[in-house]
Amino acid sequence: MGAAGSKLEKALGDQFPEGERYFGLENFGNTCYCNSVLQALYFCVPFREQLLDYYANNKSSGDAEDNLLTCLADLFTQISSQKKKTGVIAPKRFVQRLKKQNELFRSYMHQDAHEFLNFLLNELVDILEKEAQTAKNDAETSSPPEKIANGPKNALANGVHKEPLVTWVHKNFQGILTNETRCLRCETVTARDETFFDLSLDIEQNSSITSCLKNFSSTETLNAEDKFFCDKCCSLQEAQKRMKIKKAPQILVIHLKRFKYIEQLGRNKKLSYRVVFPLELKLINSVEDADAEYSLFAVVVHVGSGPNHGHYVSLVKSHNHWLFFDDENVEMIDESAVQTFFGSAQEYSSNTDHGYILFYERLGMNGSSKS
Amino acid sequence: MINTANGMMSTSSSSAAAAPGGNAPSPGLKTYFKSPEGRYKLHYEKGHPSGLMHYVQGKTVTQATVATIKDKPSPPTPPSQPSSSFSASSGVRSAAARLLGSGNGSRALSFVGGNGGSKSISGGSRLGPLGSNSSTSNLTSNFDGRGTYLIFNMGDGLFISDLNSQDKEPMKAIYFNNVYPVCHAFDSDAKDGHDLLIGLSTGDVYSVSLRQQLQDSGKKLVGAQHYNKDGSVNGSQNSSTHFPSSRRIIDKCRCTCISWVPGGDGAFVVAHADGNIYVYEKSKEGAGDSSFPAIKDPTQFSVAHARYSKSNPIARWHICQGSINGIAFSTDGTYLATVGRDGYLRVFDYSKEQLICGGKSYYGALLCCAWSNDGKYVLAGGEDDLVQIWSMVDRKVVAWGEGHNSWVSGVAFDSFWSSPNSDDSGDSVLYRFGSVGQDTQLLLWDLEMDEIVVPLRRPPGGSPTLSTGSQSSHWDNVTPVGTLQPAPSMRDIPKISPVVAHRVHTEPLSGLIFTTESVLTVCREGHIKVWIRPHIAEAQGASNPETALSTSLKDKPLLSSKVSNSSGYKQ
Repeated sequence: MGAAGSKLEKALGDQFPEGERYFGLENFGNTCYCNSVLQALYFCVPFREQLLDYYANNKSSGDAEDNLLTCLADLFTQISSQKKKTGVIAPKRFVQRLKKQNELFRSYMHQDAHEFLNFLLNELVDILEKEAQTAKNDAETSSPPEKIANGPKNALANGVHKEPLVTWVHKNFQGILTNETRCLRCETVTARDETFFDLSLDIEQNSSITSCLKNFSSTETLNAEDKFFCDKCCSLQEAQKRMKIKKAPQILVIHLKRFKYIEQLGRNKKLSYRVVFPLELKLINSVEDADAEYSLFAVVVHVGSGPNHGHYVSLVKSHNHWLFFDDENVEMIDESAVQTFFGSAQEYSSNTDHGYILFYERLGMNGSSKS
Repeated sequence: MINTANGMMSTSSSSAAAAPGGNAPSPGLKTYFKSPEGRYKLHYEKGHPSGLMHYVQGKTVTQATVATIKDKPSPPTPPSQPSSSFSASSGVRSAAARLLGSGNGSRALSFVGGNGGSKSISGGSRLGPLGSNSSTSNLTSNFDGRGTYLIFNMGDGLFISDLNSQDKEPMKAIYFNNVYPVCHAFDSDAKDGHDLLIGLSTGDVYSVSLRQQLQDSGKKLVGAQHYNKDGSVNGSQNSSTHFPSSRRIIDKCRCTCISWVPGGDGAFVVAHADGNIYVYEKSKEGAGDSSFPAIKDPTQFSVAHARYSKSNPIARWHICQGSINGIAFSTDGTYLATVGRDGYLRVFDYSKEQLICGGKSYYGALLCCAWSNDGKYVLAGGEDDLVQIWSMVDRKVVAWGEGHNSWVSGVAFDSFWSSPNSDDSGDSVLYRFGSVGQDTQLLLWDLEMDEIVVPLRRPPGGSPTLSTGSQSSHWDNVTPVGTLQPAPSMRDIPKISPVVAHRVHTEPLSGLIFTTESVLTVCREGHIKVWIRPHIAEAQGASNPETALSTSLKDKPLLSSKVSNSSGYKQ
């Protein structure tokens, strides 16, 4: 505990942010995928605060069984209430619960950090919605849950049509994409909204996140084997399809598709491409006039040359300092060191630390105009 | 109950996988590219000595400077070009690398025939008629050094190549042992000997005579004036020499960019990663370092002068928070432009020490900037993948160049370009400029004044839902002197497209330089390609590329064969 912690404290000196805690997380055998994501989520301040708020307000309501939400809230509370400013914590209960919940994470194999984040956020939403449902059944008279304007319509399994609940997890991470398809025969545009918690982007060598996002939203022609069934023409037609960001999320999570199935190899391969990500980013969206402005606050980094082994670490920005979390270890880094995690311009390179999941936080809702 | 079943966590694009022009894993780079005026051909490739290995990869960023040494006694009428020193700069760089053995003398000569498109790279040891590189004699002191040279840094080395020689390896290497030269500048009109400036990762600055370096046979800098020893004026916390232990230690005081003041009588400025620019005069002492008061408000521009007029540096300009990534003087030295981590381009009246105008990038840091020869436009490029065209008349961004797929790391106007239709009408001035990026591409752009002088107030197809209240003020406001513009909105700025887009290297690029005969592209990892202009290539015809190049330089000091003969870099 002591050595690394005190070193960080020394490095920060009197700049150590008031009330903030920087704790490494113990590794229980290949749980770095979990630790790296947990650190990123912990330093996603609105998420942390809302989780702790929710937990504080709902703890009393019965001695409910442990679930991932309570385990996560416990862990975050444990970190934030430490007397010491730095140190190491063992996220034992959380990891046990995770393994119990999902057999995927039960083995000691190398796991995918993005799959874990995906699972965790959806699990949290599940739990919150179940709780809201129970609460609603308990007190039928209570006010209806908040509704999202123009939100996606979900046909539920039992056929009952309901507006989805908007939880604080949604409020942080959810964005809306419009999938626009224009039939090339009748010119009818079919638009379908989809919600997302993160954007998974295809990557190219020596490109930027800006360019990957542009490709993501670029127009694609559906033809040949891949025609579009136009409801108006009542037949398969050539069409143009594109994805537009309709509503930009508060927390923009970008997943770089670094693990790609290569047919010739018959297995996944890690793409070590150099993909530069700026510390600031803007998203054009169709709802607001101004472009949504973001600031990078966390990066989950995959270390290693292959998809089935390696290590995860994370870079986190907290109170304008960049920190490097590697399981138990926490150290301060210079902002300019973030660029060493972009990837390699050459396929075989000694640099195997590559940015994998990027977390951007939205800046002032009024967009960029400071005038 | 919820959308987990719908797999809504991740929405992925199926289109991007099929995106055209995706980078093939092992691309065949072409040795020419087409432009409206003809073919640019790869003429020479320059690189660091083959002994330098990959350990330095990604640790330093190579920059290049073209330097012309004129006749020693009284220079003949110099070519009409305004300045013989061009510097290609790039953005972010970190400082940490290790030197293995130096070059071991093995020559990896790779000559690219610029002689007709049919000739491809012929590796091996073919030597041009002038390239009798077998000479083992060291450079001698009566070597007058006349010629045009390429100066570039890589790792802890600074290398000098003869620009008009086919030799890939440099003729001269200077090593700094564990610290890194990161920027350099040359002044061909320097009055006394010192014409070359070198800025280091530690904040140290040297001025030397390039000719003297060429005359010396060693691997150390000779006859240098040393300024800002150990980055002393930048503050003490970085004075120790950080050495490779961790890539995460970065010198806050490292030099980022260096420039002579045009017509400044030996004055030069050095930009640093701490957001400061220091002004020096080479006639003054280097040793008695000045000290400056603490910066009161780090968010505000301020200038402090040294208390004693005899010591260097003579002034400190605090520009911004975070690193200054690039600086550029207008040709006549009136204005100084800076770009930095905070994303702002700033233009200062240099002699008045006053902020004139400036503005924010679309987003992210700006990495490079350059002036048009007439001082009317400033280019800036950075982390939003855009080339920004800033008008000094309008004091705002008048167009964005869209075409790079990654950060823009180098921009330059082609001041040797003459518009094909400049004869018929004087009105439509056409500017040609180039940009390079971390996407390994060189883009060339034409800027037609008619396109942007009357900007589109509201581009067609703008959102109809816009209320008049939210109409952008970008084009309507008159900008008072000394104010910085906020980031423009995407829809307010006209876009232009490149006339040429060519992948020139396999590595991300860091800079480009236009010379009378060629375009030079510089990659981060120390490779430089010389692309000869179409009319020069045509003039060569089928004749030998080396001699043809020399003859095309008739208005320049002729590169004597003696120089080429005796200047082989040999250990």
